[in-house]
Amino acid sequence: MSWIAIKMLTGDRAKYLGIVAGIAFAALLIAQQASIAIGLLMRTTSHIQDIADADIWVMDPNIQFIDELKPLTENDLYRVRGVPGVAWAVRFYKGQGRLKLDIGGDKKKAKYQQSVVFGIDDAALVGAPREIVLGKLADLRRPDAVMIDENGYRYVWPNEPLALGRELEMNDRRVVIVGICKASETFNTFPIFYCQYHQAIRYVPQERKVMSAMLVGVEPGEDAEEVCRRIQEQTALRPAKPGDPARPGLKAMTNQQFIDSTLMYFVRRTGIVVNFGITVSLGFFVGCAVAGQTFYSFTLENLRQFGSLKAMGLTNRRIVGMVLTQALLAGFIGYGLGVGGAALFGKAMTSSGSRLAFLMPWQVLAATAAAIFVIVLVASLVSVIKVLVLEPAVVFRG
Amino acid sequence: MFNRFGKFVLPLFALGMLGFAVYHVMQAYQKPPKPQPPMEPARTPFSLAVAGAGIIEARSQNIALGSALPGVVLKVWSPEELGLPAQPGRTPWEALIGRHVKQGDPLFRVDDRQLKSQLAFHRANLKSAEAQLAKLDQMPRPEELTVSKAKEEVAQASMELQRDVAERDAKLIGSGSVNEEQYQQHRLSLRVAQRQLAQAKADMALVKAGSWEPDKAIARAAVELAKAQVLQDQTDIDRAVARAPMDGMVLQVNVRPGEFVGANPGQSLVVLGAITDCVNVRVDIDEHDIPRYRPGAPGMASFRGAPDQQYPLTFVRVEPYVIPKRSLTGDNTERVDTRVLQAIYSLKTEGKPVYVGQQLDVFLDVSEGANKPVAPPESTGR
Repeated sequence: MSWIAIKMLTGDRAKYLGIVAGIAFAALLIAQQASIAIGLLMRTTSHIQDIADADIWVMDPNIQFIDELKPLTENDLYRVRGVPGVAWAVRFYKGQGRLKLDIGGDKKKAKYQQSVVFGIDDAALVGAPREIVLGKLADLRRPDAVMIDENGYRYVWPNEPLALGRELEMNDRRVVIVGICKASETFNTFPIFYCQYHQAIRYVPQERKVMSAMLVGVEPGEDAEEVCRRIQEQTALRPAKPGDPARPGLKAMTNQQFIDSTLMYFVRRTGIVVNFGITVSLGFFVGCAVAGQTFYSFTLENLRQFGSLKAMGLTNRRIVGMVLTQALLAGFIGYGLGVGGAALFGKAMTSSGSRLAFLMPWQVLAATAAAIFVIVLVASLVSVIKVLVLEPAVVFRG
Repeated sequence: MFNRFGKFVLPLFALGMLGFAVYHVMQAYQKPPKPQPPMEPARTPFSLAVAGAGIIEARSQNIALGSALPGVVLKVWSPEELGLPAQPGRTPWEALIGRHVKQGDPLFRVDDRQLKSQLAFHRANLKSAEAQLAKLDQMPRPEELTVSKAKEEVAQASMELQRDVAERDAKLIGSGSVNEEQYQQHRLSLRVAQRQLAQAKADMALVKAGSWEPDKAIARAAVELAKAQVLQDQTDIDRAVARAPMDGMVLQVNVRPGEFVGANPGQSLVVLGAITDCVNVRVDIDEHDIPRYRPGAPGMASFRGAPDQQYPLTFVRVEPYVIPKRSLTGDNTERVDTRVLQAIYSLKTEGKPVYVGQQLDVFLDVSEGANKPVAPPESTGR
């Protein structure tokens, strides 16, 4: 019986392609827009993803996301080092510095550029860039040395070849570029400067406390989340009133927890999700309308055939099964074309060097599948009612 | 033709596209393996540890020598003047750095020229006072005695002459050959001569007696005063020389001839420290960690820049006074963050790149069973 259903579906070329195209378009729109939204949101966490050699981030308890790091006292470093399960803990500095591009030049003509400054531990260089395009990591130990990320370099000096040795100025201090490295695309597009901790704190006007966060490595065999809990417990402050729970002294999060926390901040506090959500739902509704309408008219056209089948004694259940088979086949083809198209789009965009944010996790595939399933279900249901209430005699009245 | 396309090719193509999408997703999920830090950071070597920042100091602590007197520096002693091997081609103040000096060795001298001239002046004063006293001690002068004696003999002779005349007149007055007036005159002359003899005798006695005792006491006091002044000058001249208060190594010389040094506190002109086969490490323990710390806990230290090498520390003592921590960010404006307990540990120097003032990352073992019996602080060290 399914074979007849498929034959019926593919028999009407225009309608068949129409349904598939409608669903494919809906799937493409939903998958592609969702992937762009996720890609854009993930960029807010690119710094955390790049600093992959640390297991745990330790920060002030009020921190919600990477860009609002509140400085800690240097002593906290030693307190965290004393927590069981902590293999090592190092200083980390993240700040925004103003870069003066023309060192020693005319003050009025000098160009300024906001930039992100990372201060990594002087000795261990935890958090150092992994992929170095030009220069050596060891050069970071030279006086006034910084590494800039490749995207930042191209942003600051467009259409110029990558070159080392450029001298710049930050907070009235000399900066020499000794290396160019790769870093993930960021949300705010500022160039990223990597340098030693003791230099970084001079490149940004100082506050009383300077250490932005601590990067912690976990002893082998220890659970990172358990170590996080221990850090928070051991650094907790005395309760404000007797009987209250202890107040948190420091916040410790695993890399993944910090990524999630940062993502949630942007989801809650920005319109990214709402804006893209509107486009995604538009895709959903357009898909519903196009597929539903085409499928409905297809069913109407085939009403005679359904009537004759009914007259031959086919039960309603078999009829519904036939309609669902047709809908699911069309849905599957459309879905495959749509998500495949979205993936192709993403691949083409990211490999061509465009700065488009695109990240397609499996959840996008699943959610798109669910949406397409709902679309074909709605479309087939509207049509199947017509078939179910059909009097078989109608066919012969013609 | 279309039939086949619609029935087989399109679904297969869609399947292929879906496959590509799944592959794309899988690719996006492939995370690079977790990288290791470029250099292993300082690791906690103990299961339960208190961590702190340590700074190396001399076993005697670092002694910042000052100058007792303000003034311009005239001289810095060179090692060869102190009996140490010479280092040719170096200025004395450079050659002195890193050398072991002994207690009492002079290190530098501030301007004492005025003190020296004052000493000469006061020495002359002393000589004058001493001469004055010697003069008084040697009185009477023999020549004066002779004169007095002669004067006495003259008076005696004169008295005898007058007496002879007066006696003769007394015999002759009865005969009338001497008149009354002459007799009276010769009698009075005898009395004058007698008084003159008495005067001459008294003069003789005065000269013979020599100087008066109170005068000598004054002269002696003047000598003492002058001596005290000389001694004061000598002390001041000695104070102009800064000397090593103990055996130790010259860690730093901040003084060069021609520079002015004041007597204000906190100026470390020469830094001295006892460096033997071991140095002390002053470990800052955060006040929050004090309850977890047990005095006597063994420790490990690693140098900044070489976190992979760790060296054992031996407990020396705990400073019983919790002090405000000086933030060791290397900034010259030092900020007070919290208070810290300072524990002193000992580190063997042999074969290690150890310098006084160097910072260390220190871990102290506070796990159960690590609490070895610790000798009382008096016997473990200084």
